Amino acid sequence: MLTFAFRKVLTLVGTMIGIAALTFVITNVAPGDPARLVAGPNATEDMVTTIRTEYGLDKSLPEQFVVYMGDLVTGDLGQSIVTTRPVLEEVLRYAPATLELVFVAMALGIIVGVPMGMLSAVYKDGPIDHATRIFSISGVALPAFWFGIILQLTFAVDLGWLPVSGRLPLVTRPPETVTGLLLVDSLLAGRLDTFWTSLRHIILPAIVLSFPCLASILRVNRAEMIEVLQSDYIVAARAHGIASFRIVAIYALKNALLPTLAMIGLRFGWMLGSTVLVETVFDWPGIGLYAVSSALSSDFKPVIGVTLVIGFFFIVANTLVDLAYAWIDPRLRSA
Amino acid sequence: MTGPLLDIQNYRLDIATFDGPVHVLKDINLTVNRGDTLGIVGESGSGKTVLVRSVLGIGPKASKVIEGSIAFDGQDITALSEKDWTKIRGIRISMIFQDPMTYLNPLFTIGQQISDVIAAHEKAAGHGVSSKAARRTRTEDLLDQVGLPNPAMLFDQYPHQLSGGMRQRVLIAMALSGKPDLLIADEPTTALDVTVQAQVLDLINSLVEKLNLTVIMISHDIGAIATIAKRCAVMYKGEIVEQGLTADILSAPKHEYTKRLLAAVPDIDTASAKVAAEPAVGASPKPGILLEAIDLRKVYRSQSGTEVTAVDSINLSVATGEIFGVVGESGSGKSTLARMLLRLIEPTSGDIIFDGKNISGLTGEPLRLMRRHMQFVFQNPHSALNGRHTIGDAIGEPLRIQTNMSRRDIEARVEALLDIVQLPKMFKYRYPHELSGGQKQRICIARAIALNPRLLILDEPTSALDISVQAQVLDFLQELRAELDLTYVFISHNLAVIRQICDRTIVMKRGEIVEQGETERLFLSPQHEYTKALIESGRKTSRAANLSAPAGS
Repeated sequence: MLTFAFRKVLTLVGTMIGIAALTFVITNVAPGDPARLVAGPNATEDMVTTIRTEYGLDKSLPEQFVVYMGDLVTGDLGQSIVTTRPVLEEVLRYAPATLELVFVAMALGIIVGVPMGMLSAVYKDGPIDHATRIFSISGVALPAFWFGIILQLTFAVDLGWLPVSGRLPLVTRPPETVTGLLLVDSLLAGRLDTFWTSLRHIILPAIVLSFPCLASILRVNRAEMIEVLQSDYIVAARAHGIASFRIVAIYALKNALLPTLAMIGLRFGWMLGSTVLVETVFDWPGIGLYAVSSALSSDFKPVIGVTLVIGFFFIVANTLVDLAYAWIDPRLRSA
Repeated sequence: MTGPLLDIQNYRLDIATFDGPVHVLKDINLTVNRGDTLGIVGESGSGKTVLVRSVLGIGPKASKVIEGSIAFDGQDITALSEKDWTKIRGIRISMIFQDPMTYLNPLFTIGQQISDVIAAHEKAAGHGVSSKAARRTRTEDLLDQVGLPNPAMLFDQYPHQLSGGMRQRVLIAMALSGKPDLLIADEPTTALDVTVQAQVLDLINSLVEKLNLTVIMISHDIGAIATIAKRCAVMYKGEIVEQGLTADILSAPKHEYTKRLLAAVPDIDTASAKVAAEPAVGASPKPGILLEAIDLRKVYRSQSGTEVTAVDSINLSVATGEIFGVVGESGSGKSTLARMLLRLIEPTSGDIIFDGKNISGLTGEPLRLMRRHMQFVFQNPHSALNGRHTIGDAIGEPLRIQTNMSRRDIEARVEALLDIVQLPKMFKYRYPHELSGGQKQRICIARAIALNPRLLILDEPTSALDISVQAQVLDFLQELRAELDLTYVFISHNLAVIRQICDRTIVMKRGEIVEQGETERLFLSPQHEYTKALIESGRKTSRAANLSAPAGS
């Protein structure tokens, strides 16, 4: 198991280098002269040349690549042109908000999606199955921005149950930063009212973000459960007199969870990407919003930074999924 | 109470399908008394599995009892609630299954699975669930009882770490955990090797004696039935066509179907007259060597770095026109060998000479062209055909890949091939699921001979088929060889089949050839211990099945 984990971490490093190289290539393939963009539309030719030298853009591509990778290793993601602050610092400031949103949305997707998938597999072709099918199809089909706005209009504007947007009201002093996750930090600081307020803020964006993910977890888990429930060892478990609930909830679910886990890993990366939309709709101060505003002002270093960070979290999530796989399935451990 | 333990009266069962109800069981009457050992023989689709599963209330979902009753110990169990079943399933009636790999949950340890069954029984019995340690002790006792060594270690192992025979013993231990009155064994030896089969049958026999078990065993293998069951019922198309003492049925079958079934069982102790006659057909005065393997080795390396030698320094030569047998148990490397001969997997070292040409170094186009001369027939025809392609597509595929034949020519060739394998031309429009197992295997053979190959490698071509179908396919293969001038490499674990059709045979064990020679000599005077053991194990069930014939050689 340890060597397995070690191998997985090595792959993680390798993939990370790959992503870094890829982002470098993409920025250099993309049209437009970065130096000219930085200099602005009214800059003289001299100013552009100065900036080009300053940013090292006059060197050959391989040289630039070496410098770029070297910077990455030392944690230097460059500077934002707009704020002139290090990108790493800014990304780290915005990342916890996004991670909090993604964690809550993912938890929602798993906690609701897996049992619903189980139920619709057990009662296949019954009313429950049909209802979840309609539910999950709409989950995949509804565009996030539209769904988000509808939720805002209904629950925030019309009913007034939940706040429209943001992470905390301006008047609320945020709890002392420990993890950066408000839900955790407010509990650590013993401030239940702040916990409650931030929970109310995260509900709507988390629902919007998790809906498609929940739907696909549900579908995958349903399909797997149906398959597993027909397998021989389930027949055997029944014949040996094991109670039906135990068969479904333990014997079958553990087997069906494997593909569902793979789906969760994939969906995690997808979610990080969709935060760009959801954070914009809900004015959620995360890296998605940061990336959008940077992109709009042609500030390319932050965009690369956000891409790398999202890539990093995605790979970490999938490595964890791989480890969970091995933890669940003994056959993978000995392989 | 002194009534029968199990009493099935006029039992009729339908299964609803898309095309309306199918009458799966028709008017079944069967009684089993305490201490009885009853065998149910029948081919796949005869309804025997549905019948015994109905006894346990785990029949197919869409099934519906039309008429009749099943009484267990005086209680009608056809309409029990799930809750009432928990008091019977696994406790009073328990079951062992065919394929011990797929019937054990791969993600739970052996100990966990058996302890769980024990806990479920304790819960159903009403007295509380005993402690983990107590259940562990009981589990280890059970494992010990079925002859498994080192139960304490086994407790924490996973199914994939055990051999087939051990897994079957685990399943038996699980079935015994409730001290059942009635044990149902559903093809308990079918998926096992010959020598392991004999051991498992011995185990069941000894348990019957020791625990005074009542057993219903179903099998398509008459030999296995004869070893266990004193009484026997023959099922055919959902009906019991004959029942009585096993010895009587074997020696004097009354029903037409039983007679056919018994006639089809190959006998390990009978030399095949056919084989002796065959070489004359070959007519060539001195048959050349078609295929040669020199020092062939295959080493697999697992990710953790340990090396497993699947095939070790194999030397063999197959003469043109002969049927070359490869016999061995699972894991002996026979399938690996077969696939290497065709270059479907790469040998680690060694040479393969086909028709005087060394093909072990071939790659790309020359290898692809070489493939038309040598074809492969797989064990399981059900999975070897793509369910979404018509039969015509399947047979035509090699022609489309390897030749420039026009669409019309391919059509004509497909029809001709169907004719060769003795199937109607119209079959080309059908899909695999519409065909029986034997028909599918003929299709696979038709596909293999589409390019007029010179060599066919058949990997257990009859293992997945019913006995009567097996006999047909074997006959057909022999006819085909004479007709198309083919050479076969025939792989099987079934010694009786090998003896029936192979000219020369090699015996493999753990990747090595332990003995080789003329098939008849091999059977009459085996030299190597392993060959002797193999033949002896095979003889055990074979002889039991061939009571009607004069026993022994």
